[in-house]
Amino acid sequence: MACALEGLSVIECGPNIAASYASKLMADLGADIIKVESPAGDPARTLGPFPGGKADPEASGTFLYLNSNKQGVTLALDKPKGRAVLDRLLADADVFIQDYPPGEAEALGLTYQRIREANPRLIMASITPFGLSGPYRGFKAYDLTVASAGGWTAVNGWPGRPDMPPLRAFGQQTAYQAGVNAAVAVMGAAFQQLKTSRGQHIEVSAQECIVSILELTFVMWSYMEVPAVRWGQRPIHPIDFFECKDGWIFVLCLEEHQWKSFLDMMGNPEWGEWEVFANPFVRASNWDALKPLIQEWVSEWTVDDLYRAAQTKRIPFAPVSTMADLLNSQHLKARGFFAEIGHPRTGDLKYPGAPYKLSGTPWELRTPAPRLGQHNEPVLGGRLGLSPEEMASLRKDGVVA
Amino acid sequence: MADFTWVWAGPTCTMQLAHMGADVIRMESMRRPCFIRTLPPWPDGRPGLNRSGYFNQYNQGKRSILLDLSKPEAVDIAKRIAAMSDIAVENFAGGVIDRLGLGYEELRKVKPDIVMISMSGYGKTGPESGYVSYGPAQVPLSGMSTLTGYRDWPPMHVGMSYGDPTAGLHAAYAVLASLYHREKTGEGQYIDMSQCESTMVLLGEGIMDYTMNGTQPPRSGNRVPKMSPHGIFRCAGEDRWISIACGSDVEFAALCEAMGRRELADDARFRALADRKGHEDELETEIEAWTLTQDAFELRDRLQAKGVAAFPPMLNRELAEDRHLNERGFFVEKEHPEVGVRKHAGIPWRMSATACEVWRAAPTIGQDNEYVFGELLGFSSDQIADLVAREVIH
Repeated sequence: MACALEGLSVIECGPNIAASYASKLMADLGADIIKVESPAGDPARTLGPFPGGKADPEASGTFLYLNSNKQGVTLALDKPKGRAVLDRLLADADVFIQDYPPGEAEALGLTYQRIREANPRLIMASITPFGLSGPYRGFKAYDLTVASAGGWTAVNGWPGRPDMPPLRAFGQQTAYQAGVNAAVAVMGAAFQQLKTSRGQHIEVSAQECIVSILELTFVMWSYMEVPAVRWGQRPIHPIDFFECKDGWIFVLCLEEHQWKSFLDMMGNPEWGEWEVFANPFVRASNWDALKPLIQEWVSEWTVDDLYRAAQTKRIPFAPVSTMADLLNSQHLKARGFFAEIGHPRTGDLKYPGAPYKLSGTPWELRTPAPRLGQHNEPVLGGRLGLSPEEMASLRKDGVVA
Repeated sequence: MADFTWVWAGPTCTMQLAHMGADVIRMESMRRPCFIRTLPPWPDGRPGLNRSGYFNQYNQGKRSILLDLSKPEAVDIAKRIAAMSDIAVENFAGGVIDRLGLGYEELRKVKPDIVMISMSGYGKTGPESGYVSYGPAQVPLSGMSTLTGYRDWPPMHVGMSYGDPTAGLHAAYAVLASLYHREKTGEGQYIDMSQCESTMVLLGEGIMDYTMNGTQPPRSGNRVPKMSPHGIFRCAGEDRWISIACGSDVEFAALCEAMGRRELADDARFRALADRKGHEDELETEIEAWTLTQDAFELRDRLQAKGVAAFPPMLNRELAEDRHLNERGFFVEKEHPEVGVRKHAGIPWRMSATACEVWRAAPTIGQDNEYVFGELLGFSSDQIADLVAREVIH
């Protein structure tokens, strides 16, 4: 069975994980990805996690996860000869995805103006923290500061504890968001490229990716002038964590029939009739009074029993999963969510799979992430046809590691 | 596009395609209106199905028609729309769309090369496939909550129903990849998406730690293993803060200089990353003693001028008034018949050669009945009146 993106040729480079994630999404659906790393290696090789906690550029979990199914070459793009080789790769490619900050991209000659000359039908995506225009374009940024600039950390501190700071979410979520947004825009452009052979430039701002997913927090200002609050705007309740006998459960009743079913489960306590809890909005305003009443009942349960019992009544509770819970989940096993693949340094490992199954075209892990420079020979020698002498000279000049 | 979606995840998917020019027809129900049409914010605090900023934010650039899918004739109308569509999207709980008679097997009969995606909470297969799920619950369900939070504090949410937009964006990507395949081969297909898995794929670092080592990263507040300082520090004023992250010793030295404390960069406790990680409490105390006296935005500009990554946690009002976002033309302000002109978040990407824009505000419920039933499907006004009288359409 052919993959959906078979034959789509993508070149990817850059120091962040946004471009890696965008091209991973494509690699796993069959696109042909060449990842260009600096001779020092993608910084994701230093991020871990590592087996046994021991740093090893060939065994960083972040790098392995994001770069399976790709071929890897090394090129020093800060050297003219390195750029010349990149241009030759771009000349035959369909898509180029890079996530250098704007200033660095310009210094390396990675501007659309220059790239389009090498290949006018190329789609180029530039993923940056703040976009390529505007007063913040040159701002230095990491995930934490982008999450703050996008309004996310302000809604993620502990409510009612102003002594505790606003908080980031785990991982590098702003880079993942920028990556998936880039993948969406690139596929839109690739669809058009099939029909018109036209190339174009896509510019993704990670800050805007976050502002556009703030649920109702942003519009709370533009519709009602209500300022952002921690935990996001929750006009209704219950939406909260509760402690069971053996761990945490997430109690959620969004629609009124779910609340009624929950009251029913609790044996229709007298307080369920009280005016102060009569609708989702007053439950929210009186949440401090309601929460202990629910907690008292929940604490008699185990997480799994309560989760199953609630779902049997079609109430959308959820367990608060650990990583172990995910790996042990019968549901995820039955769906084959985790994919296993071998790697010379780590042996066989389970990786997160895909959140979708396409009926006619497979998602698959075919090859593990490349070792540094693993595909220099087949790609630069084979595909581009550089002679052994040229390769030797590039190595000597430190252009290829 | 035949859009059977509701709440947040599905509409996020179809909005991405609307941004790129797809003609998206939302099929809505008056008996059970889209849940987020009933949620605030509403201008003047006055509720109304067409007045919700939440709905209007995530349904920009779409059409809306009203029909009662519990009636066979309405199902037939929905199928006629699907037959004219390239894509169908739904995010009911697992199995509901099949019971409505609008599952993939039915739609492919009327449109053999349709690309259809089901975005259920748990996916279409597996023992929990029939479970109900919403975005807020997918944060804890996916494992994200046990990774997020202050050191030695309980698991936390992330402040938004993260499972929803994340599912919507991955769904839009999968649909476009399928459309690409169809363009080349003529073959449509069916996509079974699990919303909770779409958050799990963004936790690779946490999951890989477990599969490599049988452990998971501890909740660590705003700290990360490979950078220091990396935190959010209190500034002058009530509940004012600034995030600061230094990715190298050079950036740390620049921060020390901005603080007027050059000696800290040479302090044995703070010289290199490993030193700073070993004395992070002391380092953060030093930094916060300084930030406490500073205005957050002035501080941001001073630190940025020295090449230090810094940004205050932006409140919604600050975003709406932000000069950068406004100058970039990020916000969308289209006239809406019931809420007037309001500011909405726009499209986080720009395309140089294809139109990529919000062509109109989110639809009022049933706003496009006339166009879709009359012009597109060719019902006469008598036929429409009859369908309305029998409550097939509204």
